[in-house]
Amino acid sequence: MARHPDDDLVPYLRGELSPAERERVARHLEECPDCRQDTELLRDLLGNLAHAIGQPPAVSWARYRAELRDKLDARRQRIGWWRRPMPLALSASLAGVLLLLAVWGGRELSRSGDPIGPDEVVMGQEFGLLQDLRTVERLDLLEDLEVLRNLDGLASEHQG
Amino acid sequence: MEPADEALCERVARRDEAAFDLLVSRYQERAYRLAWSILRNAEDARDVSQEAFIRLHEMAGSFRGRSKFSTWFYRILVNLCLDHKRKHKWWKLWVRDDDDDRAETILDRQPAPVNDPVDKLSRDETLKALGSAVDRLAPRQRAAVLLRVQEDMATYDIARVLKCSEATVRVHLHRALATLKKTVEKR
Repeated sequence: MARHPDDDLVPYLRGELSPAERERVARHLEECPDCRQDTELLRDLLGNLAHAIGQPPAVSWARYRAELRDKLDARRQRIGWWRRPMPLALSASLAGVLLLLAVWGGRELSRSGDPIGPDEVVMGQEFGLLQDLRTVERLDLLEDLEVLRNLDGLASEHQG
Repeated sequence: MEPADEALCERVARRDEAAFDLLVSRYQERAYRLAWSILRNAEDARDVSQEAFIRLHEMAGSFRGRSKFSTWFYRILVNLCLDHKRKHKWWKLWVRDDDDDRAETILDRQPAPVNDPVDKLSRDETLKALGSAVDRLAPRQRAAVLLRVQEDMATYDIARVLKCSEATVRVHLHRALATLKKTVEKR
């Protein structure tokens, strides 16, 4: 005989089992008098339990709802201002102010120019460029490649 | 046609107070009765069931409609009841629960006369013993039995309320009923 379907007896009585499970339990009950007796006892027990548990003391439902309302109001008052829903106009104003601050702050940053990075400072110290400011100021001339290419010509023109 | 519980819950999420009042009216009796069945104290049952409605009011937006409203609400309620029992367990060790609505009288606590066949067969006595045996069940077993017997809930729904598998609910029910059966058989 298969194992006793103890856990399945309550769902069986309630008609919750799948057809295959129901068939399996029903077949077992036909063969097993102990489980058959258990099933009958469970049926009686479930029927009696509702009476055994009984009913709670009566309540005035109007008073119950009034108390509930009071508790809800008290709970709302306890909620901090930071958790309360913010009106739409106030939220929009706050968002606008934050946006303005972000734009203004960005402009100020771009005006101050790019800060010199630590790598650039090290390179400056390495080559001693910053020691001769005149050379540095004239370095932009070297960027004009046309001038560089025709330096000889320019020199002869100047002499002639 | 009356609006469904699920539709009312959606309206509560949009702060519709009339929908909330309607849900309270529909569930107040069942919530109070179930809380009382678990806690066995009228005042606690009233407080805890009202707290469940307050949570419903606050959390209606989190109801996704994946289960029935009743299952979702009972989960809130049963969790509150089990938490309440857990928190007050230590206190009851010190103070006898004098206002317990089902507290036994001194007479009840006397051993029953063994040779009295009339008492032995008394249905009322059996039911009383059964009721006391339900009180002594482990909290989750008791909740499973009460949801089955009082709320006529299916195993699937009980599993969702207790956040466990259907197999676990079947085991809870089997063990609880086996204990209760012994109580009946003793008498």
